[in-house]
Amino acid sequence: MARTSREQRNRRNRSYSYYDYSLLFLTLFLVGFGLIMIYSTSSYSAQLVKNDSMYYLKRQGISAVLGIIAMLIVSKLNYKMLLGKMPILNIKPVTALYIVSILLQVYVLFFGVEINHAKRWISLGPLGTFQPSDLSKVATVLFVSYIVYMAPKKINNITGFFRVGVYISPLIVLIGKENMSTAIVICGIMVGICFVASKKKGYFFAAGSIIVAIGALYLMLGEGYRMERVQIWLDVENHEKGFQILQGLYAIASGGLTGTGLGRSMQKLGYVPEAQNDMIFSIICEELGLFGAVTVILLFALLIWRLFIIAINAPDLYGGLITSGILVHVALQVIINVAVVTNSIPSTGIPLPFISYGGTSIAVMLVEMGIALSVSNQIKYER
Amino acid sequence: MTKTKTYNRQNLLIVVLVILALSFILVGRLAYLMIVQSVYYGDLARQIHERERPIKAERGRIYDRNGIEIAGNKPVSTISVIHSQIKEPERVIKVLSEELGISEDEVRKRVEKVSSIERIKSNVDKELSDKIRAYKLDGVMVDEDYKRFYPFESLASKVIGFTGSDNQGIIGLEVKYDNYLQGLDGTILTLTTAKGVEIDDAAENRIEPVAGSNLYLSLDINIQKYAEQIATKLLESKEAKSVKMLVMNPQNGELYAMVNVPEFNLNDPYTLPEGTKNPLTEKERNDQLNTMWRNECISDTYEPGSSFKVVTATAALETKSVRLNDSFFCPGYKKVEDRMIRCHKTTGHGSETFVQGIQNSCNPVFMEVGARVGVDGMYKTFRQLGLFQKTGVDLPGEANSIMHNKKNIGAVELATISFGQSFQITPLQLMTAVSTVINGGNRITPHFGVKIESSDEGNIKELSYDTKENMISKDTSETMKQLLESVVAEGSGHNAFLEGFRIGGKTATSEKLPRSSNKYISSFIGFAPADHPKIIALVLIDEPTGIYYGGTIAAPAVKELFDNVLPYIGIKPDPSIREKTKETFGQNSNLILY
Repeated sequence: MARTSREQRNRRNRSYSYYDYSLLFLTLFLVGFGLIMIYSTSSYSAQLVKNDSMYYLKRQGISAVLGIIAMLIVSKLNYKMLLGKMPILNIKPVTALYIVSILLQVYVLFFGVEINHAKRWISLGPLGTFQPSDLSKVATVLFVSYIVYMAPKKINNITGFFRVGVYISPLIVLIGKENMSTAIVICGIMVGICFVASKKKGYFFAAGSIIVAIGALYLMLGEGYRMERVQIWLDVENHEKGFQILQGLYAIASGGLTGTGLGRSMQKLGYVPEAQNDMIFSIICEELGLFGAVTVILLFALLIWRLFIIAINAPDLYGGLITSGILVHVALQVIINVAVVTNSIPSTGIPLPFISYGGTSIAVMLVEMGIALSVSNQIKYER
Repeated sequence: MTKTKTYNRQNLLIVVLVILALSFILVGRLAYLMIVQSVYYGDLARQIHERERPIKAERGRIYDRNGIEIAGNKPVSTISVIHSQIKEPERVIKVLSEELGISEDEVRKRVEKVSSIERIKSNVDKELSDKIRAYKLDGVMVDEDYKRFYPFESLASKVIGFTGSDNQGIIGLEVKYDNYLQGLDGTILTLTTAKGVEIDDAAENRIEPVAGSNLYLSLDINIQKYAEQIATKLLESKEAKSVKMLVMNPQNGELYAMVNVPEFNLNDPYTLPEGTKNPLTEKERNDQLNTMWRNECISDTYEPGSSFKVVTATAALETKSVRLNDSFFCPGYKKVEDRMIRCHKTTGHGSETFVQGIQNSCNPVFMEVGARVGVDGMYKTFRQLGLFQKTGVDLPGEANSIMHNKKNIGAVELATISFGQSFQITPLQLMTAVSTVINGGNRITPHFGVKIESSDEGNIKELSYDTKENMISKDTSETMKQLLESVVAEGSGHNAFLEGFRIGGKTATSEKLPRSSNKYISSFIGFAPADHPKIIALVLIDEPTGIYYGGTIAAPAVKELFDNVLPYIGIKPDPSIREKTKETFGQNSNLILY
């Protein structure tokens, strides 16, 4: 009975569900490529420190597999569920996610695990660690889009923009204390979504100037090491703490046009510290050369192109906005990461999406792709 | 449901275009870094990746005049351990201590020490190091190296010298020709990780070492061996302190041999001779080593005694102060001012000619001759014969003569100088002076180095030495040769007479200072053939026991040497010579000499 009614509906509408396989395969390809590069960059130090050259590869592999499963599940769910009702609690899932993010950020401030002098992780016991700031990025994408979506006309002037800012400010403040780079990404996502939604664009210049001014103040009045990073950026070759960036530059420059070949990096042998993390792009440059590096950037450009196509074809404004948010998120991380590695901007710790080592990061990124795929899956087209 | 509006799409397009623009800038930046800056940063990176490891240049070899190697190199290895690469420490400790004969504790200490590289043993024989390499132990490094090796061990030890662990000459020719012998060390540039561990399969950048140049000597290993045998025999039979022997070509200054017995083993130069008292303080030990290494032929001076009469006679002939048949009378002494200076023959030689005075080595004759020549004439000849300066031999540590200041010379001093006392010269200075007298007046520079052959393309550099010609007249030289031949044929040097050869020479017995010690240096200087000398030899026996007359113990040594060496260098015996010399020099013959 149910089957016949669906068939009837299909026949009546003559429409089919779309599914963006290009995006899916681009994502899977990037994840696979990332795992290869993680093995290449980390096997030496893994052997040295953990006595197992596959240590980082295995851990990242588990996160990637879990992330891919989550992505596939999410992609088949309807993203509109986020705005639906939840049992028992009288709030929407998107709001709940946002509140959970804030709570986790508060929790991490007090009970977080400190790694490399930064308190950014929550210990999950034997399962490893979890970085709530990655979750906060998804929460931001979904929650900002939700606020804008609820009153799209308000965003047409600056007060509407500030209204969004007020909603997001608790998260930005909480993250900004420990992790400025993530705060920047979250701000970027917020501005990006608002920009896409707004009919008027003039005030963004005003808002932009204000954000830049706040950022500059933060640099100067905030913790001393941030100003130092600017100095390193300006004089990387002679600054005594420019070691990491300089080693990255050595790696990039050593690559030349075609690179030294996969696995043949010299710089990963302890010269670039933790080469599998934020600096992984420099080793990609060294091993695969300019051609390899441009290919990686092109892959990301293609990924962004697919997200753009999904966003403009999204069945409703909410789907369009979250896809735009995801697009801005991926683009910002790639651009900031490559810019830092090439010493184009002062250094800040942003991982390269899908490629850098980091379990939470890759899992959350994959879930985001799942959401974008879910939006694509709601696109109906007629044959 | 709110639909996506057109302006939303336009806005997103703007965002995407901005992203693309930024990406282009970054790609530009990448291209700049990876193409334009590639060489600059690439070089900087290589500098931190590469580690320099020196490769020792092979030291130049030393050959004798026949091309026989007398200083070479033997491959040896240095065994070291690299802490971070050791996988089976217990096995490494066991194998190394067993193979190298070092206690396990000692090896364990080095294996367990956390350092980049720890040396276990150097100068390990190639065979043994190959065996250790065959164990294929991780973290054990076998570095090949060269060790200086002297196949003849103690032969001409004080002349050749030896090298230190840093491949640098310590004494002898090894020091003098160090610059040529050393060569240029090369380097291996290996790639290392940040921790300094070398990467195995990385291509190495090598700067090849340039081996040192080979040195060819005038030294003749056979003459040296023979001279050493004779000297050692004398040393033992006369229980002397030391015996020195110098053999040279008087025409060009090429030294054939230089013996200082006792010699020492060049392959083990830091072991003092047996019977040295133990234990020694560090200073005592160093002093003893330096004494053992000392080349006395050039570094020590002595009173030449009667052999110096050659020089006095030359001065007399040069200044024409004496004629050969001038007659003298020796009562067994000569009174000079208030001193009685005795002849060695205390009963006196009686009436004699100048020729007989030389043959008898009569002191009063020479005191008289010296007085006739005068200080100026004597010193002029000394200067001409090079007695006021070092000979310039190519050996380190040459000493100079110790002479009276000219203005302090009174009649007594002049008299003693005339027969070789009251001043000191080195044996080599005496030999150089006598060579000048007998080779026609050319003051040659004695030397060992003949040519240097560079390791690349075998470029040969002939070494040249200074020769000062016409230091004395040809006539004087001719006369002196005949006079000295007569000394051997008829006079005090008759023990050096060798059947069938024309040999010239002069004996000497120098009393060491203080005179009361009754210690002597017996010596003989001889040359052959007397008419055209091709070889000159000087033997000095320091502190012989028993008979100490030079004519009795030193002259036979030169005879023995010449007996073998003259045929060896191509001088054939002529049976008729004895008769000829009898005619010329016989007591009753009418010697007609200028």
